[in-house]
Amino acid sequence: MSSLIQRVRAWPTTVKVPLMVAGLMIAVSALLSNQVLQRLAETQQRHLEELTGAYLDGLSSAIVPQVLREDVWEIYDQLDRTREAYLGVSALNTLVTDADGGILAASDPRLFPTQTALPSSLRDRFQGGDNLVLDETAGRAFIRRALAYQERPVGWIYAEIDIRDLLAERHEVLVALILANAALTLLFAGGGYLAVSRMLRPIGVLAEHLERGRGGRVEPIPATESGVRTNEFGHLFHRYNAMAEALNEREALAARLAEEERMASLGRLASGMAHEINNPLGGMFNAIDTIERHGENVTVRQTSLDILKRGLAGIRDVVRATLVTYKGSARERLLRSSDLDDLRFLVRQEIARRGQSLAWRNDLPPSLPLPASPVRQAVLNLLLNACAASPMQGEISFEAVVEQGRLLLAVADRGPGLPPDVATLLCSNGTANAPPSEGRGLGAWMISRLVAELGGKLRTEARVGGGTRIEITIPLLAAAEDAASCETAREDLCHVA
Amino acid sequence: MPRWAASEQHDIRFGLTPVFLSSDLELLDRLRTYLSAALGRPVTLVKRRTYQEITALLLSGQLDAAWICGYPFIQFRRRLSLLAVPVWRGRPLYQSYLIVDQGRSAQDVLDLRGDIHAYSDPDSNSGYLVTRATLAERGEASNNFFRKSFFTYSHRNVVRAVASGLAGSGSVDGYVWEVMSEIEPALTGKTRVLRKSEWLGFPPIACGKTLAGTARATAIAAAFMTMAEDAAGREVLNMLRLDGFTDGEPTLFESIAQKFELVRSLG
Repeated sequence: MSSLIQRVRAWPTTVKVPLMVAGLMIAVSALLSNQVLQRLAETQQRHLEELTGAYLDGLSSAIVPQVLREDVWEIYDQLDRTREAYLGVSALNTLVTDADGGILAASDPRLFPTQTALPSSLRDRFQGGDNLVLDETAGRAFIRRALAYQERPVGWIYAEIDIRDLLAERHEVLVALILANAALTLLFAGGGYLAVSRMLRPIGVLAEHLERGRGGRVEPIPATESGVRTNEFGHLFHRYNAMAEALNEREALAARLAEEERMASLGRLASGMAHEINNPLGGMFNAIDTIERHGENVTVRQTSLDILKRGLAGIRDVVRATLVTYKGSARERLLRSSDLDDLRFLVRQEIARRGQSLAWRNDLPPSLPLPASPVRQAVLNLLLNACAASPMQGEISFEAVVEQGRLLLAVADRGPGLPPDVATLLCSNGTANAPPSEGRGLGAWMISRLVAELGGKLRTEARVGGGTRIEITIPLLAAAEDAASCETAREDLCHVA
Repeated sequence: MPRWAASEQHDIRFGLTPVFLSSDLELLDRLRTYLSAALGRPVTLVKRRTYQEITALLLSGQLDAAWICGYPFIQFRRRLSLLAVPVWRGRPLYQSYLIVDQGRSAQDVLDLRGDIHAYSDPDSNSGYLVTRATLAERGEASNNFFRKSFFTYSHRNVVRAVASGLAGSGSVDGYVWEVMSEIEPALTGKTRVLRKSEWLGFPPIACGKTLAGTARATAIAAAFMTMAEDAAGREVLNMLRLDGFTDGEPTLFESIAQKFELVRSLG
């Protein structure tokens, strides 16, 4: 029952309102029909009473003298003649009794023989004391009239009247009422449906635009669709359009902020990278000096060349990692296991600066059917955030495995935990609006967007002993499209090397 | 065309007892037209509900003549004079019928004991006297024989009463029943003749003794007896299903007189 009510509640208003109109119409028409029929029945009964009253009045005034004389023939003759004379009353049977209920004469003497008692089947009908009794099932009315002479009762006249015509007329009225009401109800229900559908059309337009807005940009409702409205829907559309405009402006602002953040992190990375390159440079110039001075000594020369090699190798690693991360190529290449290992070089400086340690576990196969760039960006952002969140000398861990056809990436820190709004942004699956404040949560929002673009999910959990673990799962793509992109990637790497 | 004395220069007043056709206005119209033409005088037909009323009017001289029943003719034979007797099926005779419901199995008049019985008129021979006399002959005091009896004051109504079931049996003019069975077979079809009486003198045309032998009485008698010779008269006779009229003898009603005596003697 409750599920039925719930289901009915779930019906669209465009169905519910016409149904209510139809229901109301049916109720009203039933009420009206009932009243009309009741009035008709009353009118018919009054009419019948008047008609039979006139019939019995005429009969009784003619019959009283015969009843006094107990003139059987004259009574019969009167009954027989008046039956034919009163066409307005279809008297099936009439009979006259004396004051004691003995039959004097009847219109059908075979049915009601003279000098017999009034049958109880007829007498009992008047037990209620009424002088007019209706038997609608049999289509009969039974009437009686007391005969009096000098205010003394001398007998009774009974008559059985055929009222099937009256009942048939009532039935016809009932059928006509039902048909007319059914037609009217249908008309009003249909009209109600059309009117309500038309009234609710703006809601549909609004719902459609809201639904479209879920996928990305919220579009204002054009004037052609909204029409010129001055009612509440006009105000509603106006407000919706204002809201859409505000949202779109905010979205644009967030994108701009994200870009600025990107540039800022790029600056930080560039400075880190310069530092990384600068570090070995002193050693390398020393090595060159040593070769220039003591180049003839094979051991010294070899040692200096080794120093140069290591220094150059370190510079190469940093340059390659940066190149791969920020290439921004239109052509996306596939993720390699080493792409993630490279990230260590990009965060090494930051970790070293804060005296933190990085536990690194990368169990990925050499190549994965996923675009490299967004994955690297997301992981890099997570690592940088973890560095920032963890205290000095804190431990940061990274994990990358493939499980059940999905890439699982996890970054854990020992920070004070994520602020609730940032956690919400992270887990919003890319649907949250851009954060309004300058910078705070912007990184989290970007990660969420990147993961959402990859079709992945992001989950956060508090670690035992303090800190946060952030886990990303991304379903792997089909392997087919991998090869070409891999080639491109190799070229890039070779070029860097 | 009769020649009238000065004292006889008034309209003819002719009385009709409620014989079965007295309700037929067309017949009455034709009869009046014929008599007026035959008598050369306007004729007024006087109708009353009972035989007794007509007899009283006739005896008191308020009617010139009347078509009465053989029973009152016998009752007042000293004060009445016979003018003409109808001829039915070749004879001035008719019968009284005792009729019952068509579906009834009664075979004898004694089977009708305890009935509700319909008589025509207390002054009717066929519609009352014959049945009373028959019961008297069978040793039955008729006052107790029937559970209830009533008068319909018309032979046709006796048939209606028995046909409708109001009465279990009835006494009726045989001539009336026979003619009705031609005209209204549906009505007589619901009845059955249980007993037919012997042939009796047909209800006659009579006038007061004081009027007997006058030109007026003679003219009236002649008008009836020559009815069959006149076209308009034959139409009346056709409607009445009669052959004509004859100058019957008072002895024709002797058997009615015997029945009257029998019933009177039993009180």
